[in-house]
Parts: sequence; structure tokens; C-alpha cells
Amino acid sequence: MARKSGYKNRIELVQGTLDMLILQTLQWGPQHGYGIVQALHTHSGEILQVETGSLYPALHRLERQGWVRSQWRLTESNQRARFYQITAAGKKQLASDHDRWQQVVGAIAAIMQTKP
Amino acid sequence: MRLWRPRANDVDEEIATHISIATADRIARGTSPEEARPAALREFGNPLLVGETTRRMWAGEWLEHILQDIRYAWRQMRRSPAFTLTVIAILALGLGATLAMFTVVENVLLQVLPYRDAHHLVTIYEFGRRGDQPRVPWLDIQQWRSSSRSFESIGFYRAANGRSFLEGDSGAQQVSHQLVSTNLFHVLGISPALGSGVTSTPEGFANTGDEQTVILSDSVWRDYFGARQDVIGRTVKISGKPYTVVGVMPRGFALPLPATSLEIWTPVALQPEDDDRIGQTPFYSVIARLNTTATLSSAQAEIKTLQPQVAAQYTDQYRRDLVTSAGINDYAGSLVKPEVLHTLLALFAASALLWIIACVNVAALLLARGTVRQREIAVRGALGAGRLRIVQQLLLEGLMLSFGGSLLGLGVAFGLLSLFAHGLSMELNLHHATPGWRSIAVLLALTLFSALVSALWPALSSARTSIEPALRQGAPQSGVSRAQRCTRSLLVVTQISLALVLLVSCGLLLRTIYILRHVPLGFRTDNILVGSMAIPSYRFADQDLNTTLYAPLLQRIRAVPGVEAANLMTEVPLGHHFNMVFSFSAEGNSADAVRRRDIRAQFRAVNSDAQRVLGFTMLRGRYFNQDDTAGSQAVVVVNREFVKQYSQSHDPDKVMGQSLMGFAKDRRAIVVGILDDTRQISITEQPVPEIQVYFPQLTPTSGTYQAAGGVAMSLALRTSRNPSSIVPELRAIMTHASPELANTEFTTMTQIFEDS
Repeated sequence: MARKSGYKNRIELVQGTLDMLILQTLQWGPQHGYGIVQALHTHSGEILQVETGSLYPALHRLERQGWVRSQWRLTESNQRARFYQITAAGKKQLASDHDRWQQVVGAIAAIMQTKP
Repeated sequence: MRLWRPRANDVDEEIATHISIATADRIARGTSPEEARPAALREFGNPLLVGETTRRMWAGEWLEHILQDIRYAWRQMRRSPAFTLTVIAILALGLGATLAMFTVVENVLLQVLPYRDAHHLVTIYEFGRRGDQPRVPWLDIQQWRSSSRSFESIGFYRAANGRSFLEGDSGAQQVSHQLVSTNLFHVLGISPALGSGVTSTPEGFANTGDEQTVILSDSVWRDYFGARQDVIGRTVKISGKPYTVVGVMPRGFALPLPATSLEIWTPVALQPEDDDRIGQTPFYSVIARLNTTATLSSAQAEIKTLQPQVAAQYTDQYRRDLVTSAGINDYAGSLVKPEVLHTLLALFAASALLWIIACVNVAALLLARGTVRQREIAVRGALGAGRLRIVQQLLLEGLMLSFGGSLLGLGVAFGLLSLFAHGLSMELNLHHATPGWRSIAVLLALTLFSALVSALWPALSSARTSIEPALRQGAPQSGVSRAQRCTRSLLVVTQISLALVLLVSCGLLLRTIYILRHVPLGFRTDNILVGSMAIPSYRFADQDLNTTLYAPLLQRIRAVPGVEAANLMTEVPLGHHFNMVFSFSAEGNSADAVRRRDIRAQFRAVNSDAQRVLGFTMLRGRYFNQDDTAGSQAVVVVNREFVKQYSQSHDPDKVMGQSLMGFAKDRRAIVVGILDDTRQISITEQPVPEIQVYFPQLTPTSGTYQAAGGVAMSLALRTSRNPSSIVPELRAIMTHASPELANTEFTTMTQIFEDS
């Protein structure tokens, strides 16, 4: 798996945050892969550009874990696409990821704000 | 294979959708349609790789890869059938030979004894100036039993005298009859499958008072009593005497080992002679079970310190010298003779060498092919296949070839085993050896290992080759790296040296076989038919076998057309069915007397015509003739080796006319002839001293008659006819003489020689 390193995100994401971001995106409604990339890009103020090489494995991993489910549907422009939808288990997971995330952010912030 | 991962399957479609939506999006945002799609593709990255990593999220993806590789390997194999078949044939040879050898080793060395905790079982033997004495008198066993602390229990057994015939539902059959101590089955940890077995005293040793009871083996029960449950309590006759059946042993039980199928066991009845340690004392084999606290070496040490006390009980100085020490053998280990063990291991090593050569050969072939396929592999690498994937692919190809080889090898092994079935049953008492689960497991391991050994190196070396030069160069064969050249030279050197080793060992083996085939036997083997008879002497209990059985039988046989000469003797040379050793029993402890008592001679009772049939050569004196009768001077004939050992010189005149033994009281026999040496036991063994007596001179009252008569008799006849055509006539004559003789085995002297 030596090649995998070539498909990192441009901004190194904290381990496990990609899953949380995807789940968060899906909170706003079912979305297909391209839509998720776009949503993350837009909502991050055009900073995060998720590589497809990370996105699709993540989506499929989430689905295997039962946190999302997928379905082929037509887009607004009548294109057949696979839409991902967050499940109840996924929502629970998102909540716990979010809690953990806030703890981490709080902890890091506390350290960074401490004056020498 | 699409069934178990439906979800991972439409990843490609999903990727295509992604790209087309991205394209549409770009167009909608104002990019021109010509530029939109390439841009979307660029942004997406490598669709193949994304698809692959995504699919890997689903279990079963690796399976898909392997199936792909197998399909690919199959295509490769079909594309070059000559190469494939060569590799498979080479591997089959190596694997087959090794598997066949392992099967033999497994059956002989790794057999599981049909006893409980067999690793605690040991045999105890004595040894002294004449080497190992595996059988010991009861008094010694008794003394070990009372003094030693290493053993939980000690049991003993011996074969019943003579041949035993069991009268079952379908006539009388010869069976192997062992006399056992009543505790022996307990020592072995096996109780009868049916019935209670012999009653054992609280002491559980010997002498129970119910000696007339018998325990049957499973085969005897099935073959002669139709596996009937009501056989328990029934009275059966063994050699004419009634016994009550008290048990049937479980299937697979045998004693002694190696197993014969038709066995019966009766309790030992200790005789007055058992309370002595002189000439007539019966000797027993001992099986003991070690205490949980004792080890083989601690028991060994104990019995060694104990033995001087045992030896001190011997009144006869000569006999005392034979039992000065004692030892212990692991029971399972004692069943395999050291020379058999060494031969087996040597053959096993040779077959393993053959397997290694096969692997090296295949590795060389694969390496050569790897060079040819360098371009193809480089292209796969350029398309994004990781090295691991390429190695996996090549290993899988090796594995498939290896599996093909092992399938064929299994056939080779079966073929080899059936080819040598006769030899195996003769030499190792191994009947119908087929690869068991352990052998199959070994085959599987060998297969995997063959694949690894033969394919890993070529695979790694192929995968390591840099892609670029291989692609750039036009000719597929060029671009052999230095490392590869080195590898190949190394392979060739290994191969040649291994092949040389094998060749030299084969040459040595063939030379040995050649020498053995041309060893002077001292008798003829051509046109001789041999019938090995088990004499039902109990039928002739109060009669002289000479006049009631042997003489009429020989007369009828000689009348058969084509029979030139016929003779009955206790055993033909190299016969292996029956072996009688004669020890001198002269009194006295003088150095000369002791030396003479150290002579052990093959004992052969012959009927008449033995010289005409087997063509023994006389060196001095005469052979037996019609004038030697029960009333005339008793005579014996000895061989050259006997003269050598007896007189410590090669002077036959010192032995001629000597009186060596008495046939009965006041009937001393003198030496009247000296034979040239013959090979008696096997062609590999040097001639041993031999003494021959003439059966018509022995009367039922003589001790020699009682020991030698009516146990085994081999009919040897010289015929001008095809032996197979004469057998039915002989069988009819035998059956007419006594029904038990219907089962006489016939073979030719040439066959006996081949087997030896």
C-alpha cells in the first residue's frame, strides 16, 4: 500500500476527521460523492479539497459499518447517481465524534493559549 | 463470485458518475465542453486505483484478486502446455517419491500403538556375553517385580509351543496363539470389547487356575464366529483341547506387534520348569508400564543395579554370564529394528533430496520463464500493479503448478506403493500402505513449500527488475540483470551437485544389489516349488508323523507327473517362516565346554531327497540315505561354518565321527557328512553353523522329534512343469492328508530368493 500516500488530503486531516466531516455533510441531506466533495470544499471556505482516493474508500467503509446507506437515484439534472444517507447509527456516531472533536479542540486550544 | 460482494461491484459506475457530474458542473459554470472532461478527469486522479482502494473496503476483495490471478495463471498455463506439463511432471516425481517414503515411515515409525499411554510402556531385556537376550525366565521377572520401584506393573507373554489350530464355525484354522500373564491386558491398558476377560488374581500376575480360557482377537471373532455376541462362554477347541471364550479384544488390538490378524490369547500356566533357570525353562517377553514418577533412564539405572542380584541366582556359570546386565527399551521404539530404521531414514533422505532437486529444477525453469515474461511483467508494473501484487501473481502461478504436481504426485505415490507392496509386506510387515491423513498433510505442506521454494525466488527477481529498461528494450530476452545471472548460475551449481549426490548413492545401491544377486547361495533356486505347511500335529498326537503323514504324503506327491524329486524339511533356506536354533546343552564349565556351548546352529530336520531338490554340495562324507532308519545308527550332517566354530580350525576330520547330540537316551548321533555353506537366513547375512538331522530317524519318543516335528514343514519339490499348473494337484493331495493343510502357501524358490 505504498501508493496510498499519494492520495492524502492537501491539508492533513486529524486522524478520523474525514469520517466525521462526511457524516456532518450528510446531516444536511442525502448526497452523492461529487456533492460531498463540493460541500466540504464550499463549507470549509474553499480550504479543504478532499481527494477522491480518500473519499470513496471512506464512504464505503462508513457504509459497511452501517453509519450510512446508499441508493441509486436521479439527480436534479436527471443523472443516475449513488446517494449516501446518514443512518440512525451514523447520527449517534457523529454525535460522539463531535464530542470527542470538541474535547480535542478545547484541549489543544487550552495548551496553545497558555502563556509561558 | 459476484454473489458475495454485490456492493463493491458498481464502484466503477459510481466513479464514472462522479466524473460525468463533475464535467456537467464545469460546463454549467462556463467551461467549454472540450476542456471540461479532461479537467474533471485530472481532478479525479487515477480512477483504477480509486476503484481498487474503494473495493478493498469490502471483504472478499482479496479473494477477487486471487480469483483473477488464478484465471490469469490458468490462461498462462494453457498457453504453454509443454512448459506446464514439464514442471508438473518434475514436481510430481519429487513429491510422489517423498510422499510414498513418508507413508512408509509413517506406518513403520510413527504408528500409534493400540494401547493406552503407550509411551509409558517398556520392554525389559537381559544381556551378557552373547549379546541381548530379549526373553527371560519367570523367576527373573518375579525378582524385578518384587524389587524394583520404577514399574507400575509388569506383564509377560510367549508364543504357545508349536502351531495352534482353532476350530471355529468353518473348520480348523491356524492361528497365532500367545500365552499371556493374566495382568498383561491390564498392563497394556486395554480391556476386552466383549466379555470380562481372564480373571485376574488380586496380585494380577499369573497362575489363575482358569488356564483353559481364551480371548479372541476381533478378526478371529468376525472370521470364525460370525461376530456373534453369544460367543462368550462358548467352548471352542484349540488344537483339539477345549477352552472357554471369555473375551473378544477391540478391533485393531494386537499383541505382539507388528500385528498378525488371527490371534488368540490364553493365560500362561506356570509349570514346575518355571521355577528354574536351566535348559528347559520357558522364556518370556516382558512388557512393563512405568510409574508416573519414573523415566526411561531412571528405570534403566534401577534395573541395571538390580540385575547383579538376579544374575547371582543363576547356579550355572555359563548361563549367569549371559544375563549379567539388563536394559530397558521404549516399547514402541523396540518394534523397529535399528537397521530398518537406518535404511528407512536413508531412503527418506534420498527422496527428500529428489524433491529438493525437483524444486531447484522448477525454480530454474520458472526463472528462465520469468526472463521471457519480463516485458509482460514490466507492462503490468507500468499499469500500476504493485510489486506485492506481481509477486502474489507469480507465487499463485507457482502454487497452481505445485498443486498440479501434487495431484499427479499422489498418483505417483500410490503407484510406487503398489509397485513395492510385495517388498513392503515382506520386509516391514506393512500391508496395504496408503497415505494417511498425516501423509496428506505432509503433501499439502510440501506442495506449499515447493511453490514457495520454486516460485518465490523467480517471483522476487522478476518483480525487482526495473520497469523502464525492460520496456525500452525491444527483445524480450535481453536485459538480464547481473543478480539474475548470478542466481541462475547458483541454481545450476546446486542442481548439478545434488544430482551428483543422488547419482552416486544410486550407483552404490545398485552395486550392493548386484553383489547380493551374485552371492553364492550354496543351493539351487531354479524350478523349485515350495509349500509352507502348518502341521496340525495334535491330530497325530499318539502316532509317528513320519509314517502316518509325511511318508504317505511324499509318496503321493512324487507320483504327480512332472515332479522329479520331493522333500519335506523344517524350513527351506531363506524361508523366514520358521526358525529353529540349536544350542548345545553339554554339561561342564571348562573353557572348551563353554566355547562349544556358545555355538548356535541353525537346526534343520529334513525328510529325504533334500540334496536332490536343493543341490547341497557335500565337502566330506555322505548325505542321508534310505539306509538311515529309526533303528540304525543315528547320524547328523553339519556345514563348513559349524566345523570352523566347533573345532576352531578348518579341519573337517576333527568333526567327522564326533557325537554332538543325542536323539534320545542312549542314542547318540554322530557326524557323517559335511556340507558346503549355504545362505540360510538372508542373502545379506553370512552363513551360520548348521546341523541337519534326518526325520525318519526320529521317533516320537525322542526329544528332538518333540521339538522339531509337527511344527512347520516346508515341502520343496523339483518340477519340470509350470509350478502354477501343479499347485492345484498338490493342494488336493494336502487336503486329503489333513484338512488343515488346505491353506498351505505355495511359492517358488526363485521368489523366496527375490524376497530375501
